Amino acid sequence: MSRRRVDQEPAYVLHSHPYKETSLVVEALSRRWGRVGLVARGARRPRSAMRGLLLAFYPLRLSWSASAELGTLTTVEWAGGQSALSGVGLMCGFYLNELLLRLLPREDPHEALFDAYAASLARLGAEQSPAEVLRSFERRLLTELGYAPLLEQEATSGVPVDPARQYRYEPELGPVPLQGSQGAQPATGICVVSGRTLLDVARDDYARPQTREEARRLMRTLIAQRLPGQVLHTRAVLKELQDL
Amino acid sequence: MSAESVQTAKGLERLIEALRVLPGVGPRSAQRMAYHLLQHERQGATQLAQALEAALARVRHCARCNNFTEDEICGLCRSPRRDPSLLCVIETPADLAMVEQTVSYSGLYFVLMGRLSPLDGIGPREIGLDRLIARATDGQVQEVILATNFTNEGEATAHYIAEMLRARGIRTSRIARGVPLGGELEYVDVGTISQALIDRRGL
Ligand SMILES: [Zn+2]
Repeated sequence: MSRRRVDQEPAYVLHSHPYKETSLVVEALSRRWGRVGLVARGARRPRSAMRGLLLAFYPLRLSWSASAELGTLTTVEWAGGQSALSGVGLMCGFYLNELLLRLLPREDPHEALFDAYAASLARLGAEQSPAEVLRSFERRLLTELGYAPLLEQEATSGVPVDPARQYRYEPELGPVPLQGSQGAQPATGICVVSGRTLLDVARDDYARPQTREEARRLMRTLIAQRLPGQVLHTRAVLKELQDL
Repeated sequence: MSAESVQTAKGLERLIEALRVLPGVGPRSAQRMAYHLLQHERQGATQLAQALEAALARVRHCARCNNFTEDEICGLCRSPRRDPSLLCVIETPADLAMVEQTVSYSGLYFVLMGRLSPLDGIGPREIGLDRLIARATDGQVQEVILATNFTNEGEATAHYIAEMLRARGIRTSRIARGVPLGGELEYVDVGTISQALIDRRGL
């Protein structure tokens, strides 16, 4: 990798962890360079100027130089304009960050995904229904990564999806129409959704409670397909919190 | 090379490796510390080894506040001068020491020994939220003051504790944030000023 300098790039911190004695490794999502790993030298010193700014969910402008896998962060500027996430919105923010950390490889830029992420945070900050924000971001992320789910046509046959029918969603193929009474008791691991839900999701319309519920299961199945054998930490923690 | 000298080098290696458990200590500092202890500070090293062993054997978590103590219940929790109707929740013993330094808080504490960190898989079980709930609902506590950090993780922790306690009829409050005392705006970071504007209050 040749030496590169990036100046004042719009970016968000996704996560960070301690590095060496006083530094941090910051995983950031940048607009034009995708996900990058950056060393913030001395950022854990009490008087570090970067310390208070390297927070997730706030729009930043980062400058760095890179000649190896980990770049070196040189400046952090506050870009402003995003209200702080709180409560459920904050948990949703952690979930979006985990999806990006697990599904998006480093240095694979998707400007549209960056913009969709920024818009999702803005909606979460404005306390819009988190379910809609999450579902549309999940679908956007899968689409940008090349796994756009087939929603408006049946798998293989290409027949338009019928809103009145029930479908078994095969992650690698798409919706397969259920025959007769099948689907009354679907086997575990198989996701059954109504045609109406598929068409709603295709239009990002989550007004119907049944669509929200089925879309949540559908997206969960599709994401699990991309993360075989992995447990999403944020989802597990949220579940523990709800059980308390 | 004799078997004995290999043995010695192994002991040194193990010491260096062991020192790396300390926060912020990388391989180079660990090596410096190990050489220092063995060369110049052999007596100090013995004391360190004994103190470490004694602490591990005796120090445990206070049954009420979760802070470190050698007793079942720590001195602070037993003190008759503390107000048992106030409970302040903080992340670490260092935070407790800081609040104590203010000499303006006379209630009791609960030390989480961490914070929720969903991306790292640190959930309510890891920070003992069930124990905090039991502690806060003992009938004496009237108000729980949430003094976790103003990071996203600290905010999430405060939010969920507040929700759980509210559901059990306990009053909760969050410490205020803003420009530091004696802070000149010119030198305060923008994030703090931005939040201070949002959290402004009438005069
Ligand atoms: Zn105690």
